[in-house]
Amino acid sequence: MSIACEFDYAKAVSLKDALRLLARRVSGGAVPLAGGTDLVAWLRDGTAAPGRLVDIKGIKALCGIRLKAGQLWMGANTPFADIVESPLVRKHAPILVEAAGMAASVGVRNRATIAGNICSAVPCCDSGPALLVYGARIHVATSRGTKTIPAKRWFIGPRQTALPKGGIVTGISIPIAKHAGAFAKLKRYRGEDLAQASVAVRVDPSGNWQVAYGSVAPTPIRGPQVERVLKGVKKPDAALVKKAAALAETEVAPITDIRSSAVYRRMMVGVMLSRAIPLAVRRVSGRGPAYGINVLEEEAS
Amino acid sequence: MSKNKVVGKSAVRVDGLDKVTGAARYVDDLDFGPGLLHAVVVTSPHAHARIVKIDTAAAEKMPGVVRVVTGKQCPYKFGLYMQDRFIFPQDRVRFVGEQVAAVIAESPEAALRAAKCVEVDYAPLPAVLSLDDALKKNAVVIHPDLGNYERVPWFFPRAGTNIAHWRKTRKGNVDQAFDEADYILEDTYTVPRYAHCPLETHAVTGLFDLAGRLTLWASSQSPYAQRGVMAVALKPFGLSHQDIRIITPYVGGGFGGKAGVSMEIIGAVLAIAMKGRPVKLHWTREQEFMNTSQRQGVVARIKMGVKKNGKIVALDHTLHWDAGASAEYGANVVNAVGLSATGPYSIPNVKIDSVCVYTNMPPCGAYRGFGYSEFHFGLESHITRIAQALGIDPVKMRTLNAIREGDTLAYGAKMNPGDLCKAIDRVAKEIGWGKKEKAAKAHKAIGKSLACFWKAPAMPPNASSAAYLKFNEDGSMNLAVSGMEIGQGFLTVMAQVASEVLSVPVNKIRVETPDTDRNAYEWQTVGSHVTWSCGNAVRSAAEEVKTKLIATVARAKKMKVADLYLAAECVKSRKDAAFALPFRDFVIDGIMRPDGRYVGGPIHGTGMFMPEFTSALGDPETSQGGHPNVHYTVGAAGLVLEVDKETGKLTVLKVALAVDVGQVINPDLVKGQVVGGILQGLATAMYEDIRFAADGRLLNPNFTDYKIPTTLDCPLEIVPIMLETPQPDGPFGARGVGEHTMIAAAPNIADAIADAVDVRLKTMPLTAEKVALAMRGIEYEDVKGDNLGFCFRGRPCDYCFDVGGAS
Repeated sequence: MSIACEFDYAKAVSLKDALRLLARRVSGGAVPLAGGTDLVAWLRDGTAAPGRLVDIKGIKALCGIRLKAGQLWMGANTPFADIVESPLVRKHAPILVEAAGMAASVGVRNRATIAGNICSAVPCCDSGPALLVYGARIHVATSRGTKTIPAKRWFIGPRQTALPKGGIVTGISIPIAKHAGAFAKLKRYRGEDLAQASVAVRVDPSGNWQVAYGSVAPTPIRGPQVERVLKGVKKPDAALVKKAAALAETEVAPITDIRSSAVYRRMMVGVMLSRAIPLAVRRVSGRGPAYGINVLEEEAS
Repeated sequence: MSKNKVVGKSAVRVDGLDKVTGAARYVDDLDFGPGLLHAVVVTSPHAHARIVKIDTAAAEKMPGVVRVVTGKQCPYKFGLYMQDRFIFPQDRVRFVGEQVAAVIAESPEAALRAAKCVEVDYAPLPAVLSLDDALKKNAVVIHPDLGNYERVPWFFPRAGTNIAHWRKTRKGNVDQAFDEADYILEDTYTVPRYAHCPLETHAVTGLFDLAGRLTLWASSQSPYAQRGVMAVALKPFGLSHQDIRIITPYVGGGFGGKAGVSMEIIGAVLAIAMKGRPVKLHWTREQEFMNTSQRQGVVARIKMGVKKNGKIVALDHTLHWDAGASAEYGANVVNAVGLSATGPYSIPNVKIDSVCVYTNMPPCGAYRGFGYSEFHFGLESHITRIAQALGIDPVKMRTLNAIREGDTLAYGAKMNPGDLCKAIDRVAKEIGWGKKEKAAKAHKAIGKSLACFWKAPAMPPNASSAAYLKFNEDGSMNLAVSGMEIGQGFLTVMAQVASEVLSVPVNKIRVETPDTDRNAYEWQTVGSHVTWSCGNAVRSAAEEVKTKLIATVARAKKMKVADLYLAAECVKSRKDAAFALPFRDFVIDGIMRPDGRYVGGPIHGTGMFMPEFTSALGDPETSQGGHPNVHYTVGAAGLVLEVDKETGKLTVLKVALAVDVGQVINPDLVKGQVVGGILQGLATAMYEDIRFAADGRLLNPNFTDYKIPTTLDCPLEIVPIMLETPQPDGPFGARGVGEHTMIAAAPNIADAIADAVDVRLKTMPLTAEKVALAMRGIEYEDVKGDNLGFCFRGRPCDYCFDVGGAS
């Protein structure tokens, strides 16, 4: 594999160093390199031609998963594989574990980071729906300081985010609260695939529901209409699930592309939701399968 | 029952250890030192355009660039069966991705950068991107010189049109038979293009040495065919067969895509341009999809007439094939189907029109199954539908019509041995045919199906094999053949054949990949014919060795030839149980007689095989009179499928496949062919979904969006069943098995979907999406968007089989 574009490579030793390297002017601009699973492919096919890659893999402050101020904090360098394996994430954000386990393939998950996933911000981004239902916050550093951006304001458009120019994601935090949920992903086969559509569902013990979708809009999106109709219902009956599924089909805005027709995406969002809701109900009461299954394949409506 | 000691046993693969340890070397692994040059091609962004000007000046000035080559330096065509493919196009490009120039540089990166600086002015021409456009009146003609192209005598191109070949087969009286039929079903089936997807993309390194010899290290299934094609095409450079040497190390998958010649000839001319320095050209995955060969897309109209009892009396089968910009190999796929599109059934009245059509799409060629998978999809679906319409068991209908030894084929020759009825029975039993199964979950349904298949190698009548077998001092042997190990286990099987005759263990027979200077001739490794054809040559070489071994001992020891035999690497005597002369004691140095003189010498043998009973010279209007195919291998496959009624997701619970291989030479390798073929077949049926933009660009030349199955997608259970009705002219009775195992997969899936959820899909692939949409009454054609998956415009049922301006 050859890469035609020429670029500088610099390995940052600290966050400050990284911000400095990103800020320094270079023709083509500077971009951070973490897992590189998207970036290197873009370099190869010419869709990205930066003048400098700033390697942030060695920055300790961006690594690790821990509890911090009552929140689950995941460093920007956390690869999907660590999320899948982490007991902390499994305990406090199990829906993200289920989503991470469906992302790409084992090899890619070992390298690809969750921060990279939301910075690439493609509509089929696997972590997007899970972060949306969790109300996650994205921690960002720039040369002027730090700030946090709620996940729902992070995704602006396909490959567009609220990341300030020259900024860098340092980590993602998720509030800790008792809940259950499920993540379902529609794929063309059982192997590694980009989502044709995906659905994340979260419910707390009082019956507050959060729903989000992937691959059915320019960005991952929340499902406010479905959330409203489910609100306060701890155990939606079959009729309500059916109603929610029908609403889901109308509140998404998919396109037709080579991966799926819009109509199939719509239909399957409904099916996924109707399988995810009963599963979430079982899980919130301590029943149901452990997180990390293929919900669409293994669960029934 | 069998006397065989080695044949019929699962010898360990001779290439196995090399491959699992990483010792096996492929073209890209070969080290040519720091002098190696790297080439990158400049490709056409247009499906059809006139080349106005190519400006290489800027590219030539780029750092590291050594030379830029265009069609100016080599205005030559090439082709296996018809010379319609350009090394570099001259006046016009004919598909998106076609090479127009190549940059040779000191590094791949320098070549890649410079390739972007080659400026090509194009004047776009109207592009022919569908069969409708290619065949309409006043169609744009893609090959205006078609009438002058060199070709084999069994191709019938229509000059001035886009028809590269038209195979007609006529038997009996079809019109009368339809009049007399009790039931007639007519419908259209479509199969899109597919890509081979070998793990190793095409690669070639060429060296035109200072002595003027051209050596190519190529990832190829056909070293000798490549040398032959190149000797013709490169004649203007003063090269002949003796000047060209093709060396083929291990190949990482072929599936037909590395048969014949595609990008290798570019490597050859680049090497010629750089005398004295090796030049490497290695396709990217995108190029592997776009510029090697694809499987042709086809739209097929089937009209079948039957009697009330299910007996088929008439078949009218019309197939229009999208061959792409070149039909140099693909037209022979069309030809093969034109002779065999009855499927494995005895049908008294037959009309087949198999039409090969040029389009401005990527060129197509050989692909495992050689057209048979494509036509079986429609034909087998059709038979099941007719059976259901008549209220007959589809399995019984197949048995009723199954072809038997001695039956007259559509082109008049007689059917070879093969027990299709037994295959049908065994498979039906294995899948519990007739027993409806209930899915464990309410949202799922289970369906079953059974389909038959057949296939013959499509080869010129003089396609032949040769073998050279020699002893070494330690009694080990070298077997030099030029069939290609493409994963099927060819090397192991050849060693087994020699081992059976000579009693030398398989692990003492070294069989290496080909080198056209050193190894004996082989036409090509295609058509599932090498075990049969090259096996015959190896057996004959081994018999010659055996004769020499015995003659040498008889002469030296004054024993009778008739008393001697080979066992346990010794010459033994039936008359003297104590006599055993090990091969290693005399196969090189001979046997000393009492007076000190020696008898014998280095023992070696040669063998050759040509199917002398075949002929391609049938009547062009009816195909009667020739004997184009050597033999058909028949079989049946059935499966149990679970369908998710809401998502359309398909899970293959079980597949059983019975194939009459004549004689199993290596059971493990046949099982490998069965499992691999079923997977590849299921991939084409359920996952692989090629898409082109409206301008002819391939939209998914990658595994992100072109899906081939992973281990997670394998059927839960596969049952291979090997039947053995000997092929009289095969080595130990063997006939071909390789491609056959994927052929039934598509109709299997279509029929099982229909059985499970009562939805009939007639357009491949049969994706979950299509199933789910069909179950809700949504026409996929209405929602799929404007990208082209198919080789025609509009709905399949509206496709017009009238060839319009081309008639």
